[in-house]
Amino acid sequence: MIPLYARRRLTNRIIIGLSIAATGFGLLWLVMVLGTLLINGASAIGPALFAQMTPPPGSSGGLLNAIAGSVVMTGIATLIGTPTGILAGTFLAEYARGSQFGELVRFINDILLSAPSIIIGLFVYEAMVVRMGHFSAWAGAVALAIIMVPVIVRTTEDMLRLVPSALREAAAALGAPKWKVVVMVTYRAALQGMVTGVLLAIARISGETAPLLFTALNNQFWSTDLNRPMANLPVVIFQFAMSPYADWQVLAWGGALLITVSILVLNITARILAAWSSFKS
Amino acid sequence: MNSPTARPLATEPDSPDRVSDDTAPPRQPRRPLAAPPIAALVQRKPGDEAPKTAMPDVKADVRHVNFFYGKFQALHDISVPLYDRRVTAFIGPSGCGKSTLLRILNRIYELYPGQTATGEVILDGENILMPGLDLNRLRAKIGMVFQKPTPFPMAIYDNIAFGIRLYEKVSKSELDDRVESALRRAALWDEVKDKLRDSGLSLSGGQQQRLCIARAIAIEPEVLLLDEPASALDPISTQRIEELIAELKADYCIAMVTHNMQQAARSSDYTAFLYLGELVEFDETETIFTHPRVRRTEDYITGRFG
Amino acid sequence: MSAEIAIGRKGRAAGRHGAFGDAAFKTLTLAFAVLVLVVLAGVIASLVLGAAPALEHFGFNFLITEAWNPVTEKFGALAPVYGTLVTSAIAMLIGIPVAFGIALFLTELCPNWLKRPLSIMIELLAAIPSIIYGIWGLFVLAPFVQEHIEPALIDTLGAVPGIGLLFQGPPLGIGVLTAGFILAIMVLPFISAVMRDVFETVPAVLRESTYALGATTSEVVWRVVLPYARIGVFGGILLGLGRALGETMAVTFVIGNAHHIHASLLQPGTTISAALANEFTEAVGDLYLSSLIALGLILFVITFIVLALAKLLLIRLEKQAGS
Repeated sequence: MIPLYARRRLTNRIIIGLSIAATGFGLLWLVMVLGTLLINGASAIGPALFAQMTPPPGSSGGLLNAIAGSVVMTGIATLIGTPTGILAGTFLAEYARGSQFGELVRFINDILLSAPSIIIGLFVYEAMVVRMGHFSAWAGAVALAIIMVPVIVRTTEDMLRLVPSALREAAAALGAPKWKVVVMVTYRAALQGMVTGVLLAIARISGETAPLLFTALNNQFWSTDLNRPMANLPVVIFQFAMSPYADWQVLAWGGALLITVSILVLNITARILAAWSSFKS
Repeated sequence: MNSPTARPLATEPDSPDRVSDDTAPPRQPRRPLAAPPIAALVQRKPGDEAPKTAMPDVKADVRHVNFFYGKFQALHDISVPLYDRRVTAFIGPSGCGKSTLLRILNRIYELYPGQTATGEVILDGENILMPGLDLNRLRAKIGMVFQKPTPFPMAIYDNIAFGIRLYEKVSKSELDDRVESALRRAALWDEVKDKLRDSGLSLSGGQQQRLCIARAIAIEPEVLLLDEPASALDPISTQRIEELIAELKADYCIAMVTHNMQQAARSSDYTAFLYLGELVEFDETETIFTHPRVRRTEDYITGRFG
Repeated sequence: MSAEIAIGRKGRAAGRHGAFGDAAFKTLTLAFAVLVLVVLAGVIASLVLGAAPALEHFGFNFLITEAWNPVTEKFGALAPVYGTLVTSAIAMLIGIPVAFGIALFLTELCPNWLKRPLSIMIELLAAIPSIIYGIWGLFVLAPFVQEHIEPALIDTLGAVPGIGLLFQGPPLGIGVLTAGFILAIMVLPFISAVMRDVFETVPAVLRESTYALGATTSEVVWRVVLPYARIGVFGGILLGLGRALGETMAVTFVIGNAHHIHASLLQPGTTISAALANEFTEAVGDLYLSSLIALGLILFVITFIVLALAKLLLIRLEKQAGS
């Protein structure tokens, strides 16, 4: 065999081998992380987890206040962030195609999308916590909303752009004013895609810790006061995992498992929704 | 039937060739158009009751219209009448401007910046190209059906009701009647009457297009614009659409763009031939396809280009 | 229906059907689009205002001082910045080749039925939040590294002159190397996804004609696909870098939180985001707080530049593809 060809073949085999190894490498860590999460977190799962509050060190307890706090703040963030994101995305898709202003907004939006979430936390700290004089659930929700919005803007714009212009023209040709075309026809056509975007945004903020560190802080007790610090899963996990107490560490794993499961469920739901909508059309 | 402006190109069978006159230059007898199959399509069909002896009213009069995509001029000085209760077909090779011309009639081009039209289109005595016109109300008078069926992502019933609800407050029962009537006139009622709540997207291609036609006529327009309505459909659906057009003609002024000459010959009363943004010839369909005046028209009809 | 068309002959939109709705809706959507810009402006403003006291106090020295002493109120950004850059560099060194390998596999070698499930699994790596990687790193990876990896590294590479400096010191498990490694796992799905997308835009005819010349798979990818897609690949790398620079929780758990610079990767260190996460809520004193915010400002500037570059590259790529 010609030496040159032999060498090329060998190189090829090595690179192919390496790329298979790389893929295996990536999958390995996925399995490892999810696996240890399941193993360590499973022991924490039980009725106590959902019924009791976060305990002081050395005692057993649950994560009820943290779960509730996370749900509340995620809910408020979704309520704030979804209309904001959808309307901004609508502007980009329906009124600003090709305009310089639209390009600027899109550019800035994409930077905010990947910006460190801890910076967002700092911003809301300065803007809200300092002004209010104390940490609060409102501040936490706002920080989460700011992280959600760029995701929803992006997916909304992409989905609206996918709606064929013939559909818009058909509605306009019936004499519908532009806003009715958008709201009654274009939104409907893009609905499933937009909902998928919202679900993915919720999944994104479900695990965010850094922005909550400086805004909602944490709360050992059950609280429904939105003006006060509120317990939440990520910060509790942070605090408990870094501590030397075994009880706390077990709860931290349990909380981690809960977060991961909810994110996976949201992701899977989003995918099913996307697949279903493309199946229908 | 005599068109006031047509002049036959082929020698008429009963006039003698004047080849024997010494003073006149020898005149070559023109061959009649080699049996164009299209001409054979232009026939009186039984049931075609429209009186052809009286000149029909002009519903929309296009006068000296120019159209620009940015700096590019797509239409040059187009003037053509659209007659009421007749079908006018626009034919021509790709890119000749026929769809562009159609889209001027309901000013749908104004959805896009950079596209402008000059000239006049007189509809019932008013110039609809006038600035400041309420475009939405204009479009409610003019129905449009597109090349690809565009059912809205809603129930069949709601598709039809959408346009009606835009401008009229009607009671539920009257709305039901209007929806049924539109679907009947579009020859779709029997197929969908049991599934009015199903999505418009669940219909077949031909049914979707008839849904779009029903949607367009439900708002009781006065002019119907059809942009290659059957080009995306199979032959059977195409035939049904053409039958539908023949029925709808009795009530509307219809302007139809088609790249299918046979369809134009079958379905239309008047035909306008456009080429590179100019109106080459406009006449009754029978004339255009049997003895067109302009050489270029004849070349296109007989397939020498396009 | 009557023959009139409602006219606004004098150009007034007042009578136009739906005019009010149109104006209101456009204004509404415009307002929220502007809000996006306002948020960015707010972020910049709050960072600058918050950092101003510290920057005024320390001046340029802030960037080159390693000291970080809340008691004497001497603060310097050198250690966190160094840590941020080094951990990100490690993440890129490991992550880029692995991401490339995954992208190569998924586009050229993977059987069709496996493509979708594998891509989804790789994307799941991106969906797992930072804090999960953090506690996993602390409880699982760090001990493993401490017991097996680091001793091996110290014994082998640590003895080599030159590179050996990188692998000195007792095996702690936590430290710059471990943090960099976890970052690599976290960014590789992003880089790999962009690479894959970009590889797939390469026209099939181009690849096929190269194969037809007798080129091997790796040659096709290395010599044809990659150069064709290099703008997008570079954009994806920058995107991954932007993420790595800003990652907080995963790093915080395993970096050790020591405001020191060491040559050795096995030592603890700190990054900007880890310092913020660990110290912000307990910072007492205006100068301390302001110094931390100054760190945040530095991080923001670095990531902004990287992300803006990435975006510009990807825009150029789209324009190229569009034309």
